[in-house]
Amino acid sequence: MGALLNSCRRYDFQKDLEKALNRVDFFRIFHMLALGAGFDHFGVLQLGQEVEPALLTTRLVLHDLPSGLTEEYDRRHKLSDSLLFKSLHASTVPSVWSASMDEAAALNAGTDFLAQIGFDLVACVPVHSIVGTRYVVLYFGDNEDIDRTCHVELCYNSTTTFDYFYRFVLATRAGMGLTARETEILRWISHGKTASEIALIVSVSEHTINSHTATILKKLDVVNRTQMVAKAIREQIIQ
Amino acid sequence: MSKVQAFAIQLHYCETIESALNLIELGTPLSMVLVDNRLPPHGDFRETVPQIRQKGFIGPVGVISGSLDAAYFQSFQEYGVDFRLDKAELDPTAIEFLLQEYLVKS
Repeated sequence: MGALLNSCRRYDFQKDLEKALNRVDFFRIFHMLALGAGFDHFGVLQLGQEVEPALLTTRLVLHDLPSGLTEEYDRRHKLSDSLLFKSLHASTVPSVWSASMDEAAALNAGTDFLAQIGFDLVACVPVHSIVGTRYVVLYFGDNEDIDRTCHVELCYNSTTTFDYFYRFVLATRAGMGLTARETEILRWISHGKTASEIALIVSVSEHTINSHTATILKKLDVVNRTQMVAKAIREQIIQ
Repeated sequence: MSKVQAFAIQLHYCETIESALNLIELGTPLSMVLVDNRLPPHGDFRETVPQIRQKGFIGPVGVISGSLDAAYFQSFQEYGVDFRLDKAELDPTAIEFLLQEYLVKS
């Protein structure tokens, strides 16, 4: 990473990050972080909008939770109703949630998620991408607690790993395969321009714009311009 | 020793690349191939995995090695390899992740 000098770094697995190329490589690194801090599993969760219904299965962009666990959670519970999820929208402070709190305190502390997902300890490290979208790196385990030094180190390492993960994996699929010209046309459509207006703006024929629009519809797997813009915003192709 | 719980796995073990190629040639249904990086007398995955691809196997291929430090590991995708894993990282969680990633999601 050219912009960041070696002397500015404060993590000791730079070599692994620089070499990571695909989702399996990042699974290996996040998994290593989880085990190193005494947890069993990890998950990288896209936060999205608080008002949108949130399924754990679809919001997790990378995880190593046991097969079927997230689907089972979604069948029984609503992630968006959990206090943990709400707290992630209310604050960006890293947090540790423990099931070992006494009952009264637990009720107010949002341990509902822990009971629902079936772990005793969850550490949340809020992170964000270079374009500002919010994610959380979650660590799941049945360990009793995590000491402060280990927690601080985990937060720093998670932020660092997520930065690489976003830039080398998530960002490359963010455009859903749209070309620069298609993205530009999509942006004009989202501004309410007609095909003939866009044709004038980008100096091509109206026929070409319609052809591009048909391709965008196909690539985004949608059926009309409204659905196209809605999906493009949801997928963060446009703001 | 812990095991993968969520999937029933049938494992075919081949000691040499030649026996693995035979297995593919026989039309044995295979979902995924895990290759030890060093399979004597061959050098490394750059010699063995292309042979697997040439036999027509189009599923996921992973290379397992005691160390992923060698520079040539950075070009694994050019040789038909989908992923790489350190031997020390090969645990039930990793296997389950790979099965989810390459077989369930696809």
